[in-house]
Amino acid sequence: MNRLPLSRMSRAMLITLVGLLALPACSDDDEETPNIPDAGPRPDAGTDGGSDAGPDGGEPEPDGGSDAGTWVTEFSCEGKPQATLTFSPGQEQDLQNAVNDLAPCTSIKLGAGTFHFDNAVTIRQDGITISGAGRGAQGEATGGSASTVLDFSNATANTNGLDVVGKLFTVRDVALWNAQKDALRVENSANVYIQRIRTEWALENTESNGKYGIYPVKSRYVVIEDSEAYNAADAGIYVGQTRYAIVRRNIAKKNVAGIEIENTKYAYVEGNTATDNTTGLVVFDLPGNPIKGTDILIVDNIITGNNRPNFASVTASSSTVSQVPAGTGTFILASRRVEFTGNTWGKNNTVDIAVLSGLAIEDDVALWSAGFFNFASADVYIHGNTFQGESGIAVDNGNTDPQRRPLGALVGGVYQYARVAAEIEHVEHVLWDGMDPLPPAAAETTSHNKLNLCFTGNTLPEPNVAAVVDFDLANVATHLQAGPQNVAAAFGETRRFKQGEAPFNCAGFTPALSLPQP
Amino acid sequence: MKRTPYMKHLGLAAVVLAAVMAACSGDDEDPPGANVPDAGDAATDAGPDAGRPDGGDAGDAGDAGDAGDAGDAGDGGPQVPDGGESTGPDSGTPDASTALPNKLSDLKLFTGSPAEGNFQPVEGNLPYELTTPLFSDYALKSRTLAIPAGKTAAYAETDVLDLPVGTYITKTFSFPPDLREPDKDVRPIETRVLLRREEGWEAVSYLWNESLTDADKVAGGKVFKNYQVINAQGETETFDYLVPSRNQCQKCHHVVDANENQHLLPIGVKARYLNREHAYGGQAKNQLQHLADLGKLTGLPAADLIPHAPNAFDSSAASLDQRARTYLDINCAHCHNPKAQPGITSRLFLDIKTTDEFSNGVCKRPGSAGSGVGGEFDIVPGDHATSILWYRLNTEESGKMMPEIGRALRHDEGSQLISDWIDAMPPRACK
Repeated sequence: MNRLPLSRMSRAMLITLVGLLALPACSDDDEETPNIPDAGPRPDAGTDGGSDAGPDGGEPEPDGGSDAGTWVTEFSCEGKPQATLTFSPGQEQDLQNAVNDLAPCTSIKLGAGTFHFDNAVTIRQDGITISGAGRGAQGEATGGSASTVLDFSNATANTNGLDVVGKLFTVRDVALWNAQKDALRVENSANVYIQRIRTEWALENTESNGKYGIYPVKSRYVVIEDSEAYNAADAGIYVGQTRYAIVRRNIAKKNVAGIEIENTKYAYVEGNTATDNTTGLVVFDLPGNPIKGTDILIVDNIITGNNRPNFASVTASSSTVSQVPAGTGTFILASRRVEFTGNTWGKNNTVDIAVLSGLAIEDDVALWSAGFFNFASADVYIHGNTFQGESGIAVDNGNTDPQRRPLGALVGGVYQYARVAAEIEHVEHVLWDGMDPLPPAAAETTSHNKLNLCFTGNTLPEPNVAAVVDFDLANVATHLQAGPQNVAAAFGETRRFKQGEAPFNCAGFTPALSLPQP
Repeated sequence: MKRTPYMKHLGLAAVVLAAVMAACSGDDEDPPGANVPDAGDAATDAGPDAGRPDGGDAGDAGDAGDAGDAGDAGDGGPQVPDGGESTGPDSGTPDASTALPNKLSDLKLFTGSPAEGNFQPVEGNLPYELTTPLFSDYALKSRTLAIPAGKTAAYAETDVLDLPVGTYITKTFSFPPDLREPDKDVRPIETRVLLRREEGWEAVSYLWNESLTDADKVAGGKVFKNYQVINAQGETETFDYLVPSRNQCQKCHHVVDANENQHLLPIGVKARYLNREHAYGGQAKNQLQHLADLGKLTGLPAADLIPHAPNAFDSSAASLDQRARTYLDINCAHCHNPKAQPGITSRLFLDIKTTDEFSNGVCKRPGSAGSGVGGEFDIVPGDHATSILWYRLNTEESGKMMPEIGRALRHDEGSQLISDWIDAMPPRACK
């Protein structure tokens, strides 16, 4: 994530944004060409394959994704010749030779034990299945009688573990240990099944660990299930720039980010456990990316105790998660049509859920043109979840750093004051940055909800205490960063709401999410 | 037509082999032994040809690999196919249904062997050089191009030449023990082969056996752990030399089509890099013109209309900006262009055709660059030290260095060039 450029956010800019925001609303008009300087490519231009049944067609895409299409099988091995190759530990070079000479629809069976690789295992073929004897347990660097570990500790620099491009790819029952870069990278692929695997690095809290554990990117129709990801220096499970993803029953621990859904359309995230990361489960779009993320359903996940100090937060970091304060349960940025239900949050020291505009990390509107100005977070529906409490009690674990993790520093500053001045003991469960681009009054005194953040029917530890804070990040930043600090004034830019209070007592968005499954 | 040795010091092969085996026998379990292909384009090669922005170079005499070619007729090896024949390699034209053979010798693209000191391309398998090559850990590279008999390549102004089905491109990677003496005791490690089939390009590498009698196909690649060379400063560099697996070839050699499928593609065989002279039988001649004269290239325009990439390391050859952009183009743009996956993902385009400075990285924040990569922007004008682009091509840290594959060592000259280029930009704060 980039530095928060909040102090530069001006009212003039907000006014500019008003014009931009009006555009999608005008998309029914005959004049389809938005009157924006340098509008850039339209959403998904050039990235959608013909299989995407989504509402594309070259028109600016409406936010409401009523028709998510169907789960498409782009490649099948039915009726085709199929072969099985079997390898045991010690046959690494044979395996490498075979992997680079695969016919389509080949299954590779790996025996129990430990395979030692000095290079990535690189797959560029369709219909490939890799299966081992089992993923083993957290911390196991070697395979046993019922587990298979692919050990990349001694692999040549700058290589991933499993590096895949192909349609109908399956990997199951293996562990990927100490990859030099990403443990499993699947790019530009379709019909991907990642089942019962484990990605792990030996050392905790190590910035030089690989960035991503399980990393499907720019792919279609991806299932990640019953897998585990530990100690990644960025994200344990990272679904990037993908259309149609199911992420279920996985465990992500000791990563900077547990599970990330980035610039992704149609993701179903169910029954995962994200605990003991810096941040548990995050959804965001990044600027400059042509896939505008939308339609994310997050159900029955456990997102608790994500207080690990941010070990990616070092000098000259530029990654998104390196700037997230420790203790952030869920982080939503530049995302829309995101629904949370049945989830459990608690013991996240900074906040259970933060909902932010993309402008918080990149205030140059032009840079959001690739995704059709997808900076706003809108249509976020949080209902029927359980908040256990003991969250928001120590922003960034009390170790705020305005340079490396500015968001934490701003929030921490305000709540330090709030505790003394207003007896507010913790950050509310949901922090909304209030960077609503529709025009607020010069001195905003009431919150509106044009972007439709809804918080209803959740189980709360203290039902009579405010649950949502409208935290005007831009103005808070002005008071805390520019000129003489005025903490009281910064606190004055925040407004609190109990569950059920207007304007956040809305009932979601229409059309409701309807995600296809295989 | 004169005989021209393809690889040098052939008479010394046995001696050299013994010497280098000894030199490499430390803790290296797989010592590449000894001996030599033509050291076409070490980074130290700053032949005078590079100076011309246009194609009309004369007197390409400074090339380390070929300087000794003229009149060297005494080795008894097969003749190099430099003459006027337009025939292709006499065999080896692939049947699309057959796999590449397991032995390099079975491709019939070369005769002899480094062990015997007479390793030579066959007639029709033409050696060539690039004005600025891709850096690969200071490996010396010898290239050949074999267009089958009766077929022709079509000229392309900016893209890779349109090469006909059956074309082979080879590149032999070699190291001298001491980079300060790039002609001495050079030993080939691998010969990479690209084959144009009906359905597209295929790539695989052949690994030279220890006795250098032949090279074996290694689809799975090979890592030489703790490979050692003495660098330009006289220090021993220890690194992992990677012979890429077949699939890893695609990491650099690829283009993404309109249906999001990846296809393999050569990198250097573009007019702008081929537009230089090469000594054919002692006679210096423009490489593209030579191909055209052989009837192997159609559509070649007049010399002054052919683009020319300068030698990036010859400051008299072109402006700093032109040289830096050329270096980035040949080293980075096979991925960082609008039609390759990393370019599509990162939106950082370093190809020579992309000229808007933001897409080139100026004040551009990476989408996701990871931790500790020197700064927040790809290029901060005037300040290489906080520019991620420079950081990543300068570092040797795994997971942070670029290119992603094919480099374990820093290219000192390349790092300096890009540093100078960024520092020469009018300083400006990025936001």
